[in-house]
Amino acid sequence: MAPLIYSALIISLGLGTTMTFASTHWYLAWMGIEINTLAIIPLMAQNHIPRAIEATTKYFFVQATASATLLFAGISNAFLTGQWDITYTPYTLTSTLITLALAMKIGLAPLHSWMPEVMQGLNLLTGLILSTWQKLAPLYLIYQIQPNNPNIFIALGLMSIIVGGWGGFNQVQLRKILAYSSIAHLGWMILILSFSPPLALLTIIIYILMTFSLFSSFMLTRTTHINSLSTTWAKIPILTISTPLILLSLGGLPPLAGFMPKWMILQELTKQSLCPLATMAALSSLFSLYFYLRLSYAMTLTMPPNNPAGTLPWRLNPQHNTLPLALTTTSTICLLPMTPAIMSLMPF
Amino acid sequence: MSLPNISRVSASGLLRSSCDLRWLLRSVAPLAAPRRALTHMGYRRPGQPREDRPPWWRVKFDLAKGLKGMKRHFKLLKEEFFAPFVGPMGKPIIEHMLEQNQVLWEFRGPHSLQEWTISCDREIGGKSEIYLKVGRNNESCLLYGTLCSDPPKDGETRYSGYCTMRSKQPLASFDRKKYHDWSSFNTLHLRVRGDGRPWMINIVPETYYTHQKDDMYSYFLYTRGGPYWQDVKIPFSKFFLAHRGRIQDDQHPVWLDKINSIGFTLGDKADGPFQLEIDFIGVCKDYAHTEDFAYEKYKRNPEV
Repeated sequence: MAPLIYSALIISLGLGTTMTFASTHWYLAWMGIEINTLAIIPLMAQNHIPRAIEATTKYFFVQATASATLLFAGISNAFLTGQWDITYTPYTLTSTLITLALAMKIGLAPLHSWMPEVMQGLNLLTGLILSTWQKLAPLYLIYQIQPNNPNIFIALGLMSIIVGGWGGFNQVQLRKILAYSSIAHLGWMILILSFSPPLALLTIIIYILMTFSLFSSFMLTRTTHINSLSTTWAKIPILTISTPLILLSLGGLPPLAGFMPKWMILQELTKQSLCPLATMAALSSLFSLYFYLRLSYAMTLTMPPNNPAGTLPWRLNPQHNTLPLALTTTSTICLLPMTPAIMSLMPF
Repeated sequence: MSLPNISRVSASGLLRSSCDLRWLLRSVAPLAAPRRALTHMGYRRPGQPREDRPPWWRVKFDLAKGLKGMKRHFKLLKEEFFAPFVGPMGKPIIEHMLEQNQVLWEFRGPHSLQEWTISCDREIGGKSEIYLKVGRNNESCLLYGTLCSDPPKDGETRYSGYCTMRSKQPLASFDRKKYHDWSSFNTLHLRVRGDGRPWMINIVPETYYTHQKDDMYSYFLYTRGGPYWQDVKIPFSKFFLAHRGRIQDDQHPVWLDKINSIGFTLGDKADGPFQLEIDFIGVCKDYAHTEDFAYEKYKRNPEV
């Protein structure tokens, strides 16, 4: 893609999300989300291959449907309440419609079916943008609306955690696994959003750090299938150590940083006397942990069934910058002891 | 084989029928081979009478068959539900990682022919014939017939002369589409015994969302005429993209994660009988083959 066009699209992505962050009017918020969608469409379809076109088509249909529903819900809310303020959604019907539209936008269960297929058709960089940046604006709006009844958030959250874990069981394609991982993590965020929004913010920050490091690792080794993970030791041996740690951090195992949001969420749910919910969430995340462990096993504890002497590649210096990977990997692995400091910074 | 009587349709009938959705149905002469399912809009030969019966009249309602079908579908659904407990797609992960060869179709009896469908230009009024049967000792399948390049005399078809065998779309429970996932492999491995004719192997991926339903990736299969079997290994990087038989400028390698079907086509314009015996069709991972794509990718704005 021409650099000028590429820059324009990336800037549009930033513009869309920033516009949504800065808005209090439904139209402006909706416009920001639309700009985001329209800016990422050419990025998805830049490779003229059928799978990318399929992913772009599916993404566009889903996002357009969600945007239309969101606009309709916003206008209905304005009609009923007499004002366009995002934070004022007293009617259950409009707040539910808005929640469902935004859930479809970010791929929460049961509106998640598009996510693995779309991720599968994208290259890893665009998949990273889809998993991280594209979630920010809708999550911000979900945070703003704060429905009176948190049951819908609990239902969406728990369903997403279960579906995200269960769906990843059956996958060998790494991008689909990352899609289901994204669904599961979004479930945790939504689950706690109505009880403690700063914890949801913490979850998303930690999730972005972990996902960025994992995507960067896969980009560096150019792996998109679980089979090709077993050749990582020959390409970049250090990644054979760091990537399993990133995966286990995603799974929420202590003493890695991924444990922090899960621990805090379970603690908060317990304080809210929702022990059965906390138990179900914790047990459901074991599904996700299973396939993260499977990826770690494939990467670290297996050798490909070929003659290693004949297939060792040249260990050249990486062409692209590995500093972001180094920083995010360090954060993903080592951030847990900073929990008290982070908690004190959180506006509880 | 005789053609059905062509009935003249009056002008008012034509006008009526043009507004009628029944033009979607087509009537074809019965073939010796199993017909293809009407997944796409079919071709109706000029002059052939239109199908008068609406689709719901053509369904044969049978309670016993329906119950049997429901039982089969629920059994498939149950298998799909419990398969992830074993591993992805019902296989343990270690098998996914270690497998270097996978036999997809092995012709060892009449049941193995159920997954294939055959077709020739007889559907458009040509004179070719194609048949598929189990080979000797149930050890292979034999695709045979006669190729005839004479175009049908209908005033609009100019070229003719093809025979093809194609695998059916794999279906999950309740007839949902399933796809072949060959992304762990990079080579197609066939064991065939031909008669010296050149065949074309066509791989058709999922094309619903791309609106390019006639896209297929093709490569040649040159057979030897001898009595000895031929092991053919074709890397997937060699397959080129064609749309309705026309090779495209904008080439890219075939994505192997969603393959609908694979087929063999004969269209070498050499009239006469043909035979192709197939032992098995499989995929394998050749670690020595590191080529991504054999052809130059078309760049619209090349960097200078």
